[in-house]
Amino acid sequence: MAIFRYPNWRWPDIPGAMEDFERARRQMDRLLSVFSAGTSTPASSGVFPPLIVTEDGDAIYVEGEIPGIKADDLDISVVGRTLTLSGERKPEEAQNATYHRRERKWGSFRKALTLPEDINPEAIQAECKNGVLKLVLPKAEHVKPRKIAIKGE
Amino acid sequence: MAETDLQISEKKETQATGESTRDVPVFIPPVDIYESENSLTLVADMPGVPMENVDIDLDSDQLTIRGTVSQYEQKGEALFKEYTYGDYYRQFTLSSDIDREKIQASMKDGVLKLVLAKAEAAKPRKITVKSS
Repeated sequence: MAIFRYPNWRWPDIPGAMEDFERARRQMDRLLSVFSAGTSTPASSGVFPPLIVTEDGDAIYVEGEIPGIKADDLDISVVGRTLTLSGERKPEEAQNATYHRRERKWGSFRKALTLPEDINPEAIQAECKNGVLKLVLPKAEHVKPRKIAIKGE
Repeated sequence: MAETDLQISEKKETQATGESTRDVPVFIPPVDIYESENSLTLVADMPGVPMENVDIDLDSDQLTIRGTVSQYEQKGEALFKEYTYGDYYRQFTLSSDIDREKIQASMKDGVLKLVLAKAEAAKPRKITVKSS
């Protein structure tokens, strides 16, 4: 089971600002990985499924790529601040078939994620469509930013 | 326990996309190709691509698979990003003993499955995708 904590820095707020840098960095990582022979850390090392986690004032949003996995095959549970995704990716049934190419991986997975804020487990929304999982985890009321009105004279 | 968990395969990006006018990166989808007695089956992972956004083109012996994703809207600021959103593109060269008339394509949960029946070579044609 893999548990992730967030890095101390944050991605810049401007959407798309990092895209070109990210692409260049990925390509450089690949080129340079020849020299470091396994000691470099790839951009996304970890347990399936790969996730994108974002947050705003109201909720935490989790999006993950789970091709070939239906909503029934996936188990989502939240305990306190830990979100756990687990399930199994089954291989295609192929009777008496010989494989020419086998790039897709299959197997069971279990991924635990620690959320940065308390959330309201009653109001979680989950959608699984086209192999993409989308979770909306509304933040607990006491965590949401509160606007304080100032009374004028 | 971590050793037995399924690991992420990092997405491979491609430069050669032909006519990509969109502002998203293009990835090479991982595929499984297996052969049985009567047919060749090709299975490709293209998560985020709805059925209507899959484009399969067969031109003499070049099979091209293209999948486009709907626009990604990021809500709020990013905390954690393990993959990049983008389209998919891959080309294959088919051998002459595939029947071009009898290719069946189906798409479910972001996985495209092409069943190619073995037969004599035929004329090039476009293939329509139906749900499985």
